[in-house]
Amino acid sequence: MIIVFLRRIEWFIALALLQVLVLNNVHIAGYATPFLYIYLIVKMSSGVSRNELVLWGFFLGLIIDVFSNTPGMNAAATTFIAFIRPYLLRLFSPRDISDEIVPAIKIIGVSPFIKYVVTCVLFHHASLLLIDSFSFFEFSTLLIKIGSSTLLTVVCVMCIEGFKK
Amino acid sequence: MRNLLNFLIKYNYWFLFVLLEVTSFALLFRFNHYQGSTFFTSSNVVAGDIYKLRGSVTSYFYLKSANEDLLDRNMLLEQQISNLRKELQERGVDSLEVDSLKDTPLKGINFIKANVIDNSLTKVDNYVTLDKGSDDGIRRDMGVVDRNGVVGIVYMTSRKYSLVISLLHSKSNISCKLLRSGYFGPLKWEAGDSRYAFLNDLPRHAKFSLGDTLVTSGYSEIFPSGIMVGTVDHIGNSKDGLSYQLKIRLATDFGKLSSVRVIPMSFKKEHMLLKQIENKQQ
Repeated sequence: MIIVFLRRIEWFIALALLQVLVLNNVHIAGYATPFLYIYLIVKMSSGVSRNELVLWGFFLGLIIDVFSNTPGMNAAATTFIAFIRPYLLRLFSPRDISDEIVPAIKIIGVSPFIKYVVTCVLFHHASLLLIDSFSFFEFSTLLIKIGSSTLLTVVCVMCIEGFKK
Repeated sequence: MRNLLNFLIKYNYWFLFVLLEVTSFALLFRFNHYQGSTFFTSSNVVAGDIYKLRGSVTSYFYLKSANEDLLDRNMLLEQQISNLRKELQERGVDSLEVDSLKDTPLKGINFIKANVIDNSLTKVDNYVTLDKGSDDGIRRDMGVVDRNGVVGIVYMTSRKYSLVISLLHSKSNISCKLLRSGYFGPLKWEAGDSRYAFLNDLPRHAKFSLGDTLVTSGYSEIFPSGIMVGTVDHIGNSKDGLSYQLKIRLATDFGKLSSVRVIPMSFKKEHMLLKQIENKQQ
């Protein structure tokens, strides 16, 4: 139990540092920024209680916010994705698995896993970038940003998945 | 009653979710009014230290281009000076007048030097974090410039770090004037490209041309007048069609900010004092 918790804290710190020191400075063509930190939420085991999951999401987002001077923005988006994740996981995982699982290609299959990741990332980026663009609302730019960032984040998530094997 | 309690217990995560979302949005909307707290920004101690560490590594990558920039500028200025001196000698202007030309807008101001440890370009509201804070004499509302031009205005300070509203911010508003004709207006950034900003409210009868230099007007008391801001890149009409809106190419390259200077308040105090004396005399 403690070991699982410590592992999560490790991932938490590693992903937060990676995000604020490297990935926040990536703006491919001025639009695409990967928000890889939600990998922590995406990969949470299905046995984690909803309350715990939502708290993880909130604090992860808050840490990112503190570093990028956007109080509340990432926190709101990440809390949201942590909240809807159990529904998404149930939607994309095969029916016959009932006990605790960690979402991965091996366990729920390639295509369901990709669908699951894409949906999670899309929901997160859409809410985050929508909040970000409150004052300058330009629909086409927003769509390009959401689309390109989602693509980039999904590619990054798949890379990590590939390396971890 | 029992059913209701069961229902509440079963769906208690809904309450937590709503609570956390409300907290997030409270943070989001209060940030702009909550001057006292630097806790939730990158000017707090932990975030500042981490960014400073990164800055100490990455600043070396920019040294070469910064050096080349300075050399180019130096050459240009030296050429200009020698040309001007020749011209003046030919015209036989006396030396006192030449000396008075050496007064630049920034002469006599003791800058506070600081390094940029964090900076963003692509958001709607961009901030710059500096590695100097209130211990080094930086206060709210001080102007920040780098070697090329205006950078922004100090927004919050902690003891060791400070947060600057970059010119690339939806609420940044710097009063500027055209050096040649003297017409002035507020400079606004309208998200998107970090190289361009817009000068609004220029009257229809104003005369200017592409490539004109834009400098700070000095009316805002944050910047002394005459600091370089940029050059006119495109002349357009404002949305209501009553005035010109100029697209300005910014002199500051926000993509590679490294060392900046903060204009201390003493300049501002002097300015205020002068204004008071002026008022009394009237």
